[in-house]
Amino acid sequence: MNRKLVSLLLVFSMLLLGFSVVNAQDEMEAPLIGLWEACPTPANLPATVSVGAIFGLSDAVAVYGVPQRQAVELAVEEINGSGYLGESVFEVKFEDSAGNRDQAIFAMTKLVEEENVLAVIGPTLSSEAFAADPIAQENGTVVMGVSNTALGLTGMGDFVFRNSLPEAAVIPGTIAQAKEALGLAKVGLLYGNDDDFTVSGYQVFRQALLDNEIEILGEETFAKGDLDFNAQLTNLIGQEPDALVVSALAAEATQIILQARALDYDGPIIGGNGFNSPAVLRDTGEASEGLIVGGAWNYGNPNPTESSVRFVEMYEAKYEQSPDQFAAQAYTGAWLMATAIRCADFGADADLATQRLALRDALLQIKDFDSPLGVFSFTEEREPLHDPIAQIVSGGKFEPLAVVMGEGG
Amino acid sequence: MDLLRSIGITEIVFQLMLVNAILGLSIYLTLYTGMFSLANAGFMAIGAYVGVVLTQNYDLPLWAALIGGMAAAGIVAVPIGLPVLRLRDIYLAIATIGFGEVVRILILNFDALASSISGENVQLTRGALGITGIPKITETWQLLLFLVVTVYILVRLHHSRFGRAMAAVRQDEQVAATMGINVVYVKNAIFILSAVLAASAGVLKAHLTRTISPGDYGFDQVVNILAFAVLGGTSTWLGPIIGGFMLTAMPEILREFKQYRGIVNGVILLLVIVYLPGGIVNVNAWKRLWRRVRRQPSIETS
Repeated sequence: MNRKLVSLLLVFSMLLLGFSVVNAQDEMEAPLIGLWEACPTPANLPATVSVGAIFGLSDAVAVYGVPQRQAVELAVEEINGSGYLGESVFEVKFEDSAGNRDQAIFAMTKLVEEENVLAVIGPTLSSEAFAADPIAQENGTVVMGVSNTALGLTGMGDFVFRNSLPEAAVIPGTIAQAKEALGLAKVGLLYGNDDDFTVSGYQVFRQALLDNEIEILGEETFAKGDLDFNAQLTNLIGQEPDALVVSALAAEATQIILQARALDYDGPIIGGNGFNSPAVLRDTGEASEGLIVGGAWNYGNPNPTESSVRFVEMYEAKYEQSPDQFAAQAYTGAWLMATAIRCADFGADADLATQRLALRDALLQIKDFDSPLGVFSFTEEREPLHDPIAQIVSGGKFEPLAVVMGEGG
Repeated sequence: MDLLRSIGITEIVFQLMLVNAILGLSIYLTLYTGMFSLANAGFMAIGAYVGVVLTQNYDLPLWAALIGGMAAAGIVAVPIGLPVLRLRDIYLAIATIGFGEVVRILILNFDALASSISGENVQLTRGALGITGIPKITETWQLLLFLVVTVYILVRLHHSRFGRAMAAVRQDEQVAATMGINVVYVKNAIFILSAVLAASAGVLKAHLTRTISPGDYGFDQVVNILAFAVLGGTSTWLGPIIGGFMLTAMPEILREFKQYRGIVNGVILLLVIVYLPGGIVNVNAWKRLWRRVRRQPSIETS
């Protein structure tokens, strides 16, 4: 008797769930992103267009890879739901690289040489990209990094794109604005010296500080996985810097902020992309006051584009969590791919090489694309071009650096 | 070939299977001689970096880089082996892990160190960013040939006086010494041979994956190499080869399982370890398993 009741309830609730899903799809408004006017609805595309995506979906790197996959899945839903590619269905084949170089190579080979995808989004890490992207390049297939920030990535070939701003595009602006707003004259520099991401961040920071004629009082290093930064911080704080400049990943960034504040340092802390995570702000609480972050996109951006607001709404509704920069870039990446396919509108009978080439040429043509990242264009070097953000944590949330300092000064 | 490709083993997967088989053999050598040495990732790093510098900065062909990398590792292995191999069991393991970390951190800071000594801006190992843009020049036939030659040498070694001395040292060092075997010589010779083999895998792999960085040769890599030998079994040379093949190929074959891949992979490994404790290539373990399987129905009928 009881079991019957339970199963009846189950069936009923499933039906309800089914209805609500159908309803949600019916109510889907036209997306606020995409070149709807500039390119006509494609009529010649094959019934299915397949794109691959390589993200780190397991192991430690899944913190980045899972939001990336979720964002791409959201974009695919919108693209197919809105008929962006006409009759044709946009399909993304996900492969897991687990943050491992060998697996990224395997996944790229599988997608490009076995599954014959049109193009590939990913891989998550720059180190994976340096190993796997040449395979796409050799096969004349576009690969678009959506989280690769290392120097020289797109130099690997004319099919290698990225939509993630490299540190070199974000940090100089952050430093220049911080100097202007805070009158920085001397800073202490702290960075992780065993990780490609933090080291390239450090190099760009150093160059930007030199260019802005800011004195570097001292340089301290740490290793990935370190928990205690007191020795390095004491050395730097002892020299009374105007600001601490830190190149670290999110896990270390949190500890560095907390420990610097515990050492009674109350000046500004300037961080790179690694600090640009909702988790850092949440985990450091009040200690993050005065944290200055440069990045490509931020959840707390006070002046988001319309498509950014919409993206955040849709993402939160679907996954019940807030998107981070990686999600925003992956979402934009999927839309850029779909847009290139829409604009290329290659015939279904064109051979694969022609289709892939047409997609690359169409991608290069994308200019002034309104996306959550802002107005987006590709440069001739296949690098992204959009305004980075420089923000300071004030009253527990991100504010534009210039505005806050204008009020204070 | 098409059959292999259809289950996920593309050429590059096969190539890395061969590389990992060589790595498995390198740790098999020391394990077979009774030394629990975990220095293989360190020697692999030395091989990879020396090899890549030779092909990239000096435009040497792959075979010359291979010899250079192997020689470098062999030379380093001599002063390391002499003191360290006096240690046994877990102490040897700890010391050799330490060696691996020293190598990794030296490579990480090589440019800064060399720059401060020479006063010029040295750009050789490129720190944590690693060396990128290495051409892919290792061919499958080269790897196959290298593996076959290695196995041939191993088989000859096992049937030689030296090979029997290896087994004797493993079973009891003191007894071996009283029987007139030069234990220090045997252990060091095998340690060097193992280092050279690991370095060759490092050179060959660097020219497959196009990029190397110090992080590739950390503790994770040591555990992987050890797993090739342990899973495959260390009673014969075939064990580490099968282990290396299986651990490389399985995650690729299991790609169809999507997000459950890790679980399925783990369950298979667990089953192997529980039911074949001596490794996959171990006749006695299979016999024991067979006896257990056969005994099962007789219990039910009685």
